[in-house]
Amino acid sequence: MKTQIKNLKLKAISLFFLLIIFNFLFLIFNSDVVKAIDMESSRFRIESANTSSAAGNKSSASYKLSDTIGQIAAGEFSSTGYVVKAGFQYLHSIIPFKFSISNTNVDLGTLLPNTPSTAQTNLTVSFGSAGQYQVTAIEETPLKTFSGNSIPDTSCDGGAESCTESIAKNWTSNNAYGFGYNMSGDDIPTDFSTNKYRPFPDRSSNEQPVVVMSSTNVGKNRQATMTFKVNISPLQPVGNYQTIINFVATPSF
Amino acid sequence: MKNYSFKLKIKKDLILFLLLFLLLFTISKKVFSQQVSLSISPPLIETIIKPGKSIMIAYTIKNFGDPIYLKTKVVSFEPKDNQGNIRLKNDLQGPIRFELDNADLQLERPFFLRTGASQQILLRIRAPEGAPFGDYYYTLLAETIPSGNLDEKTITQAKATIGSNILITVTDSGIIEVKPKVVIFDVLNKFKIFNKKINLFDSFDKIPVLLILENKGKNLIKPEGEIILKDSFGNQIKYQIIPKNILAESQRVIEATESSKLTEPTQNPITLVLSGFFLGLYHLSTKINFGENSPTIFANTQFFSFPFKLTVIIIFLVILIIYLTKKLHQDEEID
Repeated sequence: MKTQIKNLKLKAISLFFLLIIFNFLFLIFNSDVVKAIDMESSRFRIESANTSSAAGNKSSASYKLSDTIGQIAAGEFSSTGYVVKAGFQYLHSIIPFKFSISNTNVDLGTLLPNTPSTAQTNLTVSFGSAGQYQVTAIEETPLKTFSGNSIPDTSCDGGAESCTESIAKNWTSNNAYGFGYNMSGDDIPTDFSTNKYRPFPDRSSNEQPVVVMSSTNVGKNRQATMTFKVNISPLQPVGNYQTIINFVATPSF
Repeated sequence: MKNYSFKLKIKKDLILFLLLFLLLFTISKKVFSQQVSLSISPPLIETIIKPGKSIMIAYTIKNFGDPIYLKTKVVSFEPKDNQGNIRLKNDLQGPIRFELDNADLQLERPFFLRTGASQQILLRIRAPEGAPFGDYYYTLLAETIPSGNLDEKTITQAKATIGSNILITVTDSGIIEVKPKVVIFDVLNKFKIFNKKINLFDSFDKIPVLLILENKGKNLIKPEGEIILKDSFGNQIKYQIIPKNILAESQRVIEATESSKLTEPTQNPITLVLSGFFLGLYHLSTKINFGENSPTIFANTQFFSFPFKLTVIIIFLVILIIYLTKKLHQDEEID
Protein backbone atom coordinates (compact mmCIF):
# COMPACT_ATOMS: atom_id res chain seq x y z
CA MET A 1 0.00 0.00 0.00
CA LYS A 2 2.83 2.34 0.95
CA THR A 3 4.57 1.66 -2.37
CA GLN A 4 1.33 2.49 -4.24
CA ILE A 5 1.06 5.83 -2.44
CA LYS A 6 4.70 6.55 -3.13
CA ASN A 7 4.15 5.78 -6.83
CA LEU A 8 1.09 8.02 -6.96
CA LYS A 9 3.02 10.80 -5.28
CA LEU A 10 5.84 10.43 -7.79
CA LYS A 11 3.37 10.43 -10.68
CA ALA A 12 1.72 13.65 -9.39
CA ILE A 13 5.03 15.42 -8.95
CA SER A 14 6.10 14.30 -12.41
CA LEU A 15 2.83 15.52 -13.93
CA PHE A 16 3.17 18.86 -12.20
CA PHE A 17 6.70 19.37 -13.44
CA LEU A 18 5.77 18.19 -16.92
CA LEU A 19 3.04 20.81 -17.10
CA ILE A 20 5.39 23.54 -15.92
CA ILE A 21 8.00 22.47 -18.47
CA PHE A 22 5.31 22.33 -21.16
CA ASN A 23 4.23 25.90 -20.40
CA PHE A 24 7.77 27.13 -20.16
CA LEU A 25 8.59 25.63 -23.55
CA PHE A 26 5.56 27.31 -25.06
CA LEU A 27 6.62 30.63 -23.61
CA ILE A 28 10.16 30.35 -24.86
CA PHE A 29 9.12 29.06 -28.26
CA ASN A 30 6.67 31.87 -28.87
CA SER A 31 8.79 34.71 -27.57
CA ASP A 32 11.46 33.57 -29.98
CA VAL A 33 8.99 33.83 -32.86
CA VAL A 34 8.17 37.46 -32.08
CA LYS A 35 11.82 38.31 -31.52
CA ALA A 36 12.74 36.92 -34.90
CA ILE A 37 10.20 39.17 -36.63
CA ASP A 38 11.66 42.22 -34.93
CA MET A 39 15.16 41.28 -35.97
CA GLU A 40 14.18 40.96 -39.59
CA SER A 41 13.25 44.65 -39.51
CA SER A 42 10.74 44.03 -42.23
CA ARG A 43 7.66 45.10 -40.34
CA PHE A 44 7.12 48.17 -42.49
CA ARG A 45 7.31 48.25 -46.23
CA ILE A 46 6.77 51.38 -48.25
CA GLU A 47 6.14 51.19 -51.93
CA SER A 48 6.54 54.01 -54.38
CA ALA A 49 3.67 55.69 -56.16
CA ASN A 50 3.92 53.75 -59.40
CA THR A 51 3.92 50.22 -58.08
CA SER A 52 1.51 47.57 -59.19
CA SER A 53 -0.35 47.65 -55.89
CA ALA A 54 -1.39 51.25 -56.40
CA ALA A 55 -2.38 50.51 -59.97
CA GLY A 56 -4.38 47.52 -58.82
CA ASN A 57 -6.54 49.63 -56.63
CA LYS A 58 -7.87 51.56 -59.58
CA SER A 59 -9.62 48.55 -61.01
CA SER A 60 -10.94 47.34 -57.68
CA ALA A 61 -14.72 47.05 -57.52
CA SER A 62 -14.79 48.36 -53.98
CA TYR A 63 -12.88 51.50 -54.79
CA LYS A 64 -14.73 54.67 -53.83
CA LEU A 65 -14.20 57.67 -56.06
CA SER A 66 -15.39 60.06 -53.35
CA ASP A 67 -12.54 58.98 -51.12
CA THR A 68 -9.77 59.94 -53.50
CA ILE A 69 -8.61 63.48 -52.99
CA GLY A 70 -6.01 63.40 -55.72
CA GLN A 71 -8.28 62.23 -58.49
CA ILE A 72 -11.09 64.67 -57.69
CA ALA A 73 -8.55 67.44 -57.57
CA ALA A 74 -7.16 66.46 -60.93
CA GLY A 75 -10.59 66.41 -62.59
CA GLU A 76 -12.41 69.43 -61.22
CA PHE A 77 -9.36 71.45 -60.37
CA SER A 78 -8.29 72.10 -63.95
CA SER A 79 -11.66 73.60 -64.92
CA THR A 80 -12.62 75.59 -61.81
CA GLY A 81 -9.35 76.15 -60.01
CA TYR A 82 -10.71 74.74 -56.79
CA VAL A 83 -12.33 71.71 -55.18
CA VAL A 84 -14.47 71.92 -52.06
CA LYS A 85 -15.70 69.13 -49.83
CA ALA A 86 -17.96 69.69 -46.83
CA GLY A 87 -18.39 67.46 -43.82
CA PHE A 88 -16.72 64.21 -42.89
CA GLN A 89 -16.54 61.62 -45.64
CA TYR A 90 -16.82 58.68 -43.29
CA LEU A 91 -20.10 60.02 -41.89
CA HIS A 92 -21.55 60.24 -45.42
CA SER A 93 -23.63 63.31 -44.57
CA ILE A 94 -23.21 66.86 -43.36
CA ILE A 95 -24.23 66.75 -39.73
CA PRO A 96 -24.37 70.02 -37.74
CA PHE A 97 -22.09 70.26 -34.74
CA LYS A 98 -24.00 71.41 -31.64
CA PHE A 99 -22.75 72.72 -28.29
CA SER A 100 -24.82 73.79 -25.26
CA ILE A 101 -24.12 75.29 -21.85
CA SER A 102 -27.06 74.93 -19.44
CA ASN A 103 -26.26 78.05 -17.42
CA THR A 104 -23.87 80.79 -18.48
CA ASN A 105 -24.26 82.84 -15.28
CA VAL A 106 -22.99 80.55 -12.54
CA ASP A 107 -23.76 82.18 -9.18
CA LEU A 108 -21.28 81.16 -6.49
CA GLY A 109 -23.38 82.85 -3.78
CA THR A 110 -22.09 84.70 -0.74
CA LEU A 111 -18.60 83.51 0.06
CA LEU A 112 -17.72 82.77 3.69
CA PRO A 113 -14.16 82.07 4.87
CA ASN A 114 -13.26 78.38 5.16
CA THR A 115 -16.68 77.42 3.79
CA PRO A 116 -16.38 76.11 0.21
CA SER A 117 -19.02 77.29 -2.21
CA THR A 118 -19.92 75.26 -5.31
CA ALA A 119 -22.13 75.72 -8.36
CA GLN A 120 -22.67 73.69 -11.50
CA THR A 121 -23.29 73.98 -15.21
CA ASN A 122 -23.81 71.28 -17.82
CA LEU A 123 -21.94 71.05 -21.11
CA THR A 124 -23.59 69.10 -23.92
CA VAL A 125 -22.20 68.17 -27.33
CA SER A 126 -24.10 66.57 -30.19
CA PHE A 127 -22.67 65.47 -33.49
CA GLY A 128 -25.10 63.15 -35.18
CA SER A 129 -24.26 59.49 -35.00
CA ALA A 130 -20.47 59.68 -34.91
CA GLY A 131 -17.59 62.10 -35.02
CA GLN A 132 -14.70 63.45 -33.06
CA TYR A 133 -14.71 66.64 -30.99
CA GLN A 134 -13.09 68.52 -28.13
CA VAL A 135 -14.25 71.19 -25.68
CA THR A 136 -11.57 73.37 -24.13
CA ALA A 137 -11.83 75.81 -21.22
CA ILE A 138 -9.81 78.79 -20.05
CA GLU A 139 -10.49 81.63 -17.59
CA GLU A 140 -9.93 85.12 -18.92
CA THR A 141 -8.59 86.20 -15.50
CA PRO A 142 -8.68 84.71 -11.98
CA LEU A 143 -11.85 85.50 -9.99
CA LYS A 144 -11.40 89.18 -9.15
CA THR A 145 -13.19 92.29 -8.03
CA PHE A 146 -13.53 95.51 -9.98
CA SER A 147 -10.88 97.03 -7.71
CA GLY A 148 -8.40 94.27 -8.57
CA ASN A 149 -8.51 91.95 -5.55
CA SER A 150 -8.40 88.36 -6.69
CA ILE A 151 -8.99 84.82 -5.45
CA PRO A 152 -6.03 82.67 -6.53
CA ASP A 153 -6.51 79.53 -8.59
CA THR A 154 -6.57 76.44 -6.41
CA SER A 155 -3.67 74.08 -5.92
CA CYS A 156 -6.09 71.67 -4.17
CA ASP A 157 -5.04 70.18 -0.80
CA GLY A 158 -1.34 70.81 -1.50
CA GLY A 159 1.65 68.53 -0.97
CA ALA A 160 1.04 65.21 -2.68
CA GLU A 161 -2.45 66.46 -3.52
CA SER A 162 -1.25 69.51 -5.46
CA CYS A 163 -3.33 69.84 -8.63
CA THR A 164 -2.34 71.59 -11.83
CA GLU A 165 -4.17 72.76 -14.96
CA SER A 166 -3.76 69.27 -16.39
CA ILE A 167 -3.91 66.99 -13.32
CA ALA A 168 -6.86 66.85 -10.93
CA LYS A 169 -6.19 66.10 -7.26
CA ASN A 170 -8.21 65.92 -4.07
CA TRP A 171 -9.53 69.18 -2.68
CA THR A 172 -11.35 68.40 0.55
CA SER A 173 -9.59 70.60 3.10
CA ASN A 174 -11.49 73.70 4.17
CA ASN A 175 -8.14 75.36 4.79
CA ALA A 176 -7.09 74.99 1.13
CA TYR A 177 -8.12 78.16 -0.66
CA GLY A 178 -8.72 79.06 -4.25
CA PHE A 179 -10.93 78.62 -7.30
CA GLY A 180 -11.16 75.45 -9.37
CA TYR A 181 -13.43 72.98 -11.08
CA ASN A 182 -14.41 69.32 -11.16
CA MET A 183 -15.84 67.37 -14.09
CA SER A 184 -18.23 64.43 -14.14
CA GLY A 185 -20.18 62.73 -16.90
CA ASP A 186 -19.34 61.79 -20.49
CA ASP A 187 -16.02 62.17 -22.29
CA ILE A 188 -14.19 63.90 -19.44
CA PRO A 189 -10.45 63.62 -18.67
CA THR A 190 -9.70 60.41 -16.77
CA ASP A 191 -8.04 62.16 -13.81
CA PHE A 192 -11.35 63.56 -12.56
CA SER A 193 -13.42 61.80 -9.90
CA THR A 194 -15.37 62.90 -6.82
CA ASN A 195 -13.57 65.67 -4.88
CA LYS A 196 -10.82 65.93 -7.49
CA TYR A 197 -10.33 69.42 -8.86
CA ARG A 198 -8.12 71.36 -11.21
CA PRO A 199 -7.45 75.10 -11.50
CA PHE A 200 -8.44 76.78 -14.76
CA PRO A 201 -5.64 77.90 -17.05
CA ASP A 202 -5.42 81.68 -17.00
CA ARG A 203 -5.35 83.57 -20.29
CA SER A 204 -4.04 86.72 -18.56
CA SER A 205 -0.95 84.66 -17.60
CA ASN A 206 -0.56 83.43 -21.21
CA GLU A 207 -1.62 79.88 -20.31
CA GLN A 208 -3.15 77.56 -22.90
CA PRO A 209 -6.76 76.25 -22.80
CA VAL A 210 -7.20 72.70 -21.54
CA VAL A 211 -9.45 69.98 -22.91
CA VAL A 212 -12.37 69.30 -20.56
CA MET A 213 -14.38 67.05 -22.87
CA SER A 214 -13.24 65.05 -25.88
CA SER A 215 -14.18 61.92 -27.74
CA THR A 216 -13.39 60.16 -30.95
CA ASN A 217 -16.99 59.02 -31.18
CA VAL A 218 -19.28 61.75 -29.94
CA GLY A 219 -22.74 60.45 -30.73
CA LYS A 220 -25.76 62.40 -29.53
CA ASN A 221 -26.08 64.51 -26.39
CA ARG A 222 -22.80 63.75 -24.69
CA GLN A 223 -23.17 65.59 -21.40
CA ALA A 224 -20.72 66.51 -18.65
CA THR A 225 -21.24 68.54 -15.50
CA MET A 226 -18.69 71.15 -14.49
CA THR A 227 -18.69 71.96 -10.78
CA PHE A 228 -17.07 75.27 -9.88
CA LYS A 229 -15.65 75.49 -6.37
CA VAL A 230 -14.33 78.47 -4.47
CA ASN A 231 -12.99 78.63 -0.92
CA ILE A 232 -11.65 81.84 0.60
CA SER A 233 -9.38 82.59 3.54
CA PRO A 234 -10.44 84.85 6.41
CA LEU A 235 -8.01 87.46 5.01
CA GLN A 236 -9.75 87.64 1.61
CA PRO A 237 -10.93 91.24 1.01
CA VAL A 238 -14.68 91.74 0.81
CA GLY A 239 -16.10 92.20 -2.69
CA ASN A 240 -17.92 90.71 -5.65
CA TYR A 241 -15.55 88.43 -7.50
CA GLN A 242 -16.15 87.66 -11.14
CA THR A 243 -14.52 86.03 -14.13
CA ILE A 244 -15.35 84.71 -17.59
CA ILE A 245 -14.69 81.10 -18.55
CA ASN A 246 -14.34 80.61 -22.29
CA PHE A 247 -15.54 77.22 -23.54
CA VAL A 248 -14.57 76.40 -27.12
CA ALA A 249 -16.17 73.39 -28.80
CA THR A 250 -14.64 72.23 -32.07
CA PRO A 251 -15.07 69.13 -34.16
CA SER A 252 -11.94 67.38 -35.33
CA PHE A 253 -10.56 67.30 -38.83
CA MET B 1 -60.69 110.37 17.46
CA LYS B 2 -57.23 109.51 18.70
CA ASN B 3 -57.92 105.83 18.03
CA TYR B 4 -59.01 106.58 14.43
CA SER B 5 -55.85 108.59 13.76
CA PHE B 6 -53.73 105.71 15.12
CA LYS B 7 -55.50 103.20 12.84
CA LEU B 8 -54.97 105.51 9.87
CA LYS B 9 -51.26 105.75 10.70
CA ILE B 10 -50.95 101.96 10.86
CA LYS B 11 -52.71 101.68 7.48
CA LYS B 12 -50.34 104.23 5.96
CA ASP B 13 -47.31 102.43 7.37
CA LEU B 14 -48.60 99.13 6.05
CA ILE B 15 -49.16 100.55 2.56
CA LEU B 16 -45.71 102.16 2.65
CA PHE B 17 -44.16 98.86 3.75
CA LEU B 18 -45.92 96.97 0.95
CA LEU B 19 -44.83 99.56 -1.61
CA LEU B 20 -41.23 99.41 -0.42
CA PHE B 21 -41.38 95.62 -0.48
CA LEU B 22 -42.64 95.62 -4.06
CA LEU B 23 -40.05 98.23 -4.99
CA LEU B 24 -37.33 96.00 -3.57
CA PHE B 25 -38.43 93.20 -5.85
CA THR B 26 -38.57 95.36 -8.94
CA ILE B 27 -35.25 97.18 -8.58
CA SER B 28 -33.11 94.40 -7.14
CA LYS B 29 -30.64 93.05 -9.67
CA LYS B 30 -31.25 89.48 -10.64
CA VAL B 31 -28.92 86.91 -12.07
CA PHE B 32 -30.85 85.07 -14.71
CA SER B 33 -29.91 81.56 -15.63
CA GLN B 34 -29.11 81.78 -19.31
CA GLN B 35 -28.77 78.82 -21.57
CA VAL B 36 -26.57 78.82 -24.65
CA SER B 37 -27.11 76.23 -27.35
CA LEU B 38 -25.56 76.68 -30.77
CA SER B 39 -25.05 74.55 -33.83
CA ILE B 40 -22.82 75.09 -36.84
CA SER B 41 -22.95 73.42 -40.22
CA PRO B 42 -20.92 72.23 -42.06
CA PRO B 43 -18.51 71.14 -39.32
CA LEU B 44 -15.58 70.74 -41.72
CA ILE B 45 -14.49 72.15 -45.05
CA GLU B 46 -11.69 70.72 -47.14
CA THR B 47 -10.64 72.67 -50.16
CA ILE B 48 -7.91 72.58 -52.77
CA ILE B 49 -7.49 75.97 -54.36
CA LYS B 50 -5.31 77.69 -56.93
CA PRO B 51 -3.59 80.96 -56.05
CA GLY B 52 -5.72 83.86 -57.29
CA LYS B 53 -9.00 81.98 -56.86
CA SER B 54 -11.69 82.50 -54.26
CA ILE B 55 -14.57 80.37 -53.03
CA MET B 56 -17.64 81.11 -50.96
CA ILE B 57 -18.84 78.74 -48.23
CA ALA B 58 -22.32 79.06 -46.73
CA TYR B 59 -22.38 78.21 -43.03
CA THR B 60 -25.51 77.99 -40.93
CA ILE B 61 -25.42 78.95 -37.26
CA LYS B 62 -28.56 78.13 -35.31
CA ASN B 63 -29.49 79.29 -31.83
CA PHE B 64 -31.38 76.68 -29.76
CA GLY B 65 -30.94 78.58 -26.49
CA ASP B 66 -31.82 82.02 -25.13
CA PRO B 67 -31.42 85.10 -27.34
CA ILE B 68 -27.75 86.04 -27.68
CA TYR B 69 -25.25 88.32 -29.31
CA LEU B 70 -22.66 86.47 -31.37
CA LYS B 71 -19.61 87.39 -33.33
CA THR B 72 -17.68 85.36 -35.87
CA LYS B 73 -13.96 85.24 -36.51
CA VAL B 74 -11.39 83.02 -38.21
CA VAL B 75 -8.21 81.87 -36.48
CA SER B 76 -5.45 79.48 -37.45
CA PHE B 77 -5.05 76.11 -35.82
CA GLU B 78 -2.42 73.40 -35.59
CA PRO B 79 -2.64 69.73 -34.57
CA LYS B 80 -2.14 69.44 -30.82
CA ASP B 81 -1.41 65.73 -30.59
CA ASN B 82 -1.68 62.58 -32.67
CA GLN B 83 -5.31 61.99 -31.71
CA GLY B 84 -7.01 64.61 -33.84
CA ASN B 85 -7.20 67.35 -31.22
CA ILE B 86 -6.38 70.88 -32.27
CA ARG B 87 -4.76 73.93 -30.72
CA LEU B 88 -6.33 77.22 -31.76
CA LYS B 89 -4.01 80.14 -32.30
CA ASN B 90 -4.94 83.62 -31.21
CA ASP B 91 -4.80 85.13 -34.68
CA LEU B 92 -5.02 84.48 -38.39
CA GLN B 93 -1.76 83.28 -39.92
CA GLY B 94 -0.82 82.49 -43.51
CA PRO B 95 -1.69 84.12 -46.83
CA ILE B 96 -5.38 83.13 -47.01
CA ARG B 97 -7.88 85.98 -46.71
CA PHE B 98 -11.37 85.68 -45.24
CA GLU B 99 -14.36 88.00 -45.36
CA LEU B 100 -18.13 87.75 -45.16
CA ASP B 101 -20.25 88.17 -48.28
CA ASN B 102 -23.32 88.98 -46.14
CA ALA B 103 -24.46 92.56 -46.74
CA ASP B 104 -25.32 93.12 -43.08
CA LEU B 105 -22.58 91.13 -41.33
CA GLN B 106 -18.86 91.41 -40.84
CA LEU B 107 -16.26 89.28 -39.14
CA GLU B 108 -15.59 90.37 -35.53
CA ARG B 109 -18.79 92.45 -35.47
CA PRO B 110 -21.58 91.30 -33.09
CA PHE B 111 -24.99 90.31 -34.37
CA PHE B 112 -28.16 89.31 -32.56
CA LEU B 113 -29.69 85.86 -32.82
CA ARG B 114 -33.05 85.20 -31.20
CA THR B 115 -34.22 81.83 -29.89
CA GLY B 116 -34.75 79.29 -32.66
CA ALA B 117 -33.30 81.58 -35.34
CA SER B 118 -30.62 80.67 -37.86
CA GLN B 119 -28.03 82.92 -39.45
CA GLN B 120 -26.38 82.09 -42.71
CA ILE B 121 -22.74 83.11 -42.79
CA LEU B 122 -21.33 83.51 -46.30
CA LEU B 123 -17.61 83.12 -45.84
CA ARG B 124 -15.43 84.18 -48.76
CA ILE B 125 -12.07 82.38 -48.82
CA ARG B 126 -9.44 83.84 -51.11
CA ALA B 127 -6.00 82.50 -51.97
CA PRO B 128 -4.12 85.58 -53.23
CA GLU B 129 -1.89 85.49 -56.30
CA GLY B 130 1.54 84.30 -55.31
CA ALA B 131 0.32 82.49 -52.20
CA PRO B 132 2.97 79.87 -51.34
CA PHE B 133 1.92 76.30 -52.13
CA GLY B 134 1.11 74.23 -49.08
CA ASP B 135 -1.56 73.63 -46.50
CA TYR B 136 -3.21 76.20 -44.26
CA TYR B 137 -5.56 75.26 -41.45
CA TYR B 138 -8.18 77.56 -39.94
CA THR B 139 -11.25 77.47 -37.70
CA LEU B 140 -14.33 79.62 -38.14
CA LEU B 141 -15.50 80.53 -34.63
CA ALA B 142 -18.88 81.83 -33.53
CA GLU B 143 -18.62 83.12 -29.97
CA THR B 144 -21.18 84.50 -27.56
CA ILE B 145 -20.67 87.88 -25.98
CA PRO B 146 -21.01 87.74 -22.17
CA SER B 147 -23.46 90.23 -20.69
CA GLY B 148 -20.72 92.09 -18.77
CA ASN B 149 -20.38 92.86 -15.08
CA LEU B 150 -23.18 91.58 -12.89
CA ASP B 151 -22.96 93.76 -9.78
CA GLU B 152 -23.38 92.52 -6.25
CA LYS B 153 -22.68 88.90 -7.10
CA THR B 154 -19.73 86.55 -7.05
CA ILE B 155 -20.26 84.94 -10.37
CA THR B 156 -18.59 82.97 -13.13
CA GLN B 157 -19.81 83.80 -16.60
CA ALA B 158 -19.45 81.24 -19.35
CA LYS B 159 -18.62 82.30 -22.88
CA ALA B 160 -19.55 79.67 -25.46
CA THR B 161 -17.60 79.37 -28.68
CA ILE B 162 -18.36 76.87 -31.41
CA GLY B 163 -16.06 76.19 -34.32
CA SER B 164 -15.84 74.61 -37.74
CA ASN B 165 -12.49 73.67 -39.25
CA ILE B 166 -11.30 74.74 -42.69
CA LEU B 167 -8.49 72.78 -44.34
CA ILE B 168 -6.99 74.59 -47.32
CA THR B 169 -4.47 73.19 -49.78
CA VAL B 170 -2.97 75.77 -52.10
CA THR B 171 -1.58 74.27 -55.29
CA ASP B 172 -1.21 75.38 -58.86
CA SER B 173 -1.34 71.94 -60.49
CA GLY B 174 -3.76 70.03 -58.31
CA ILE B 175 -1.02 67.55 -57.48
CA ILE B 176 -0.84 66.70 -53.83
CA GLU B 177 2.28 65.58 -52.03
CA VAL B 178 1.70 62.19 -50.41
CA LYS B 179 4.53 61.07 -48.12
CA PRO B 180 3.18 58.63 -45.57
CA LYS B 181 5.11 56.54 -43.06
CA VAL B 182 4.05 53.91 -40.56
CA VAL B 183 5.31 55.07 -37.18
CA ILE B 184 3.97 52.12 -35.23
CA PHE B 185 1.83 49.10 -35.96
CA ASP B 186 1.79 46.72 -33.06
CA VAL B 187 -0.29 45.12 -30.34
CA LEU B 188 -0.08 46.74 -26.94
CA ASN B 189 0.75 44.47 -24.06
CA LYS B 190 2.32 44.68 -20.67
CA PHE B 191 4.18 41.38 -20.86
CA LYS B 192 7.93 41.83 -20.67
CA ILE B 193 10.84 39.47 -20.05
CA PHE B 194 14.21 41.06 -19.21
CA ASN B 195 12.73 44.40 -20.29
CA LYS B 196 11.89 42.98 -23.73
CA LYS B 197 8.32 43.27 -24.94
CA ILE B 198 6.79 39.94 -25.92
CA ASN B 199 3.55 39.79 -27.84
CA LEU B 200 2.02 37.17 -25.63
CA PHE B 201 -1.59 37.26 -24.47
CA ASP B 202 -3.97 35.15 -22.54
CA SER B 203 -6.62 33.64 -24.83
CA PHE B 204 -9.37 35.54 -23.03
CA ASP B 205 -7.60 38.93 -23.07
CA LYS B 206 -8.76 41.85 -25.17
CA ILE B 207 -5.92 42.70 -27.53
CA PRO B 208 -5.37 46.40 -28.24
CA VAL B 209 -3.81 47.30 -31.58
CA LEU B 210 -2.12 50.61 -32.28
CA LEU B 211 -1.44 52.07 -35.72
CA ILE B 212 0.13 55.51 -35.98
CA LEU B 213 0.81 57.09 -39.35
CA GLU B 214 3.01 60.05 -40.10
CA ASN B 215 2.47 62.49 -42.92
CA LYS B 216 5.88 63.75 -43.93
CA GLY B 217 4.49 65.72 -46.85
CA LYS B 218 3.34 69.31 -47.11
CA ASN B 219 -0.32 68.46 -47.86
CA LEU B 220 -2.91 66.64 -45.81
CA ILE B 221 -3.57 63.01 -46.63
CA LYS B 222 -6.48 60.68 -45.96
CA PRO B 223 -5.65 57.01 -45.28
CA GLU B 224 -7.86 54.26 -46.61
CA GLY B 225 -7.44 50.56 -46.22
CA GLU B 226 -7.82 47.77 -43.75
CA ILE B 227 -6.28 45.85 -40.92
CA ILE B 228 -6.32 42.08 -41.43
CA LEU B 229 -6.19 39.54 -38.63
CA LYS B 230 -5.15 36.08 -39.81
CA ASP B 231 -4.84 32.91 -37.71
CA SER B 232 -2.52 29.95 -38.30
CA PHE B 233 -5.19 28.15 -40.35
CA GLY B 234 -5.57 31.00 -42.82
CA ASN B 235 -8.89 32.32 -41.51
CA GLN B 236 -9.03 36.10 -41.58
CA ILE B 237 -11.08 39.06 -40.37
CA LYS B 238 -10.84 42.51 -41.98
CA TYR B 239 -11.34 45.83 -40.19
CA GLN B 240 -11.79 48.93 -42.31
CA ILE B 241 -9.72 52.01 -41.50
CA ILE B 242 -11.71 55.20 -40.88
CA PRO B 243 -10.48 57.77 -43.42
CA LYS B 244 -9.56 60.69 -41.15
CA ASN B 245 -7.24 63.43 -42.35
CA ILE B 246 -3.59 63.49 -41.34
CA LEU B 247 -2.43 67.08 -41.54
CA ALA B 248 0.85 68.07 -43.17
CA GLU B 249 3.98 67.10 -41.22
CA SER B 250 2.06 65.51 -38.38
CA GLN B 251 1.13 62.12 -36.99
CA ARG B 252 -2.27 60.61 -36.25
CA VAL B 253 -3.53 57.53 -34.47
CA ILE B 254 -5.57 55.67 -37.06
CA GLU B 255 -8.90 54.20 -36.08
CA ALA B 256 -10.52 51.09 -37.48
CA THR B 257 -14.26 50.56 -37.60
CA GLU B 258 -14.25 48.13 -34.67
CA SER B 259 -12.74 50.78 -32.37
CA SER B 260 -15.94 52.82 -32.60
CA LYS B 261 -17.58 50.10 -30.54
CA LEU B 262 -15.34 50.89 -27.57
CA THR B 263 -17.55 51.78 -24.65
CA GLU B 264 -14.97 52.23 -21.93
CA PRO B 265 -12.74 55.31 -22.09
CA THR B 266 -9.09 54.42 -22.62
CA GLN B 267 -6.18 56.45 -21.34
CA ASN B 268 -4.02 55.68 -24.33
CA PRO B 269 -5.22 55.96 -27.90
CA ILE B 270 -6.06 52.66 -29.56
CA THR B 271 -6.70 51.82 -33.19
CA LEU B 272 -8.59 48.61 -32.65
CA VAL B 273 -9.48 46.22 -29.85
CA LEU B 274 -9.57 42.53 -30.76
CA SER B 275 -11.75 40.45 -28.50
CA GLY B 276 -12.74 36.79 -28.48
CA PHE B 277 -10.93 33.51 -27.75
CA PHE B 278 -7.50 33.41 -29.34
CA LEU B 279 -5.32 30.33 -29.47
CA GLY B 280 -1.99 30.09 -31.22
CA LEU B 281 -0.10 32.42 -33.49
CA TYR B 282 -1.92 35.31 -35.19
CA HIS B 283 -0.70 37.61 -37.93
CA LEU B 284 -1.86 41.22 -38.12
CA SER B 285 -1.23 43.20 -41.26
CA THR B 286 -2.36 46.50 -42.69
CA LYS B 287 -2.42 47.87 -46.19
CA ILE B 288 -3.07 51.58 -46.58
CA ASN B 289 -3.37 53.82 -49.59
CA PHE B 290 -4.09 57.52 -49.91
CA GLY B 291 -6.06 57.75 -53.11
CA GLU B 292 -5.26 56.91 -56.69
CA ASN B 293 -1.58 56.98 -57.77
CA SER B 294 -0.55 57.38 -54.18
CA PRO B 295 1.95 55.25 -52.25
CA THR B 296 0.60 52.09 -50.70
CA ILE B 297 2.16 51.23 -47.39
CA PHE B 298 2.19 47.93 -45.57
CA ALA B 299 2.98 46.87 -42.04
CA ASN B 300 2.64 43.66 -40.13
CA THR B 301 3.10 42.19 -36.71
CA GLN B 302 2.09 39.05 -34.86
CA PHE B 303 1.09 37.84 -31.45
CA PHE B 304 0.59 34.57 -29.64
CA SER B 305 -2.27 33.63 -27.39
CA PHE B 306 -2.51 30.79 -24.93
CA PRO B 307 -5.02 30.15 -22.11
CA PHE B 308 -2.47 30.76 -19.33
CA LYS B 309 -5.04 31.60 -16.69
CA LEU B 310 -7.03 28.49 -17.53
CA THR B 311 -3.85 26.37 -17.41
CA VAL B 312 -3.00 27.75 -13.97
CA ILE B 313 -6.50 26.92 -12.76
CA ILE B 314 -6.24 23.39 -14.20
CA ILE B 315 -2.81 22.86 -12.57
CA PHE B 316 -4.18 24.10 -9.29
CA LEU B 317 -7.15 21.74 -9.58
CA VAL B 318 -4.90 18.78 -10.47
CA ILE B 319 -2.69 19.49 -7.45
CA LEU B 320 -5.76 19.84 -5.28
CA ILE B 321 -7.19 16.54 -6.56
CA ILE B 322 -3.87 14.74 -5.99
CA TYR B 323 -3.59 16.21 -2.53
CA LEU B 324 -7.16 15.22 -1.64
CA THR B 325 -6.72 11.72 -3.06
CA LYS B 326 -3.50 11.33 -1.14
CA LYS B 327 -5.15 12.52 2.05
CA LEU B 328 -8.08 10.17 1.47
CA HIS B 329 -5.70 7.23 1.06
CA GLN B 330 -3.82 8.24 4.19
CA ASP B 331 -7.10 8.39 6.12
CA GLU B 332 -8.06 4.97 4.77
CA GLU B 333 -4.67 3.56 5.85
CA ILE B 334 -5.09 4.98 9.35
CA ASP B 335 -8.59 3.48 9.54
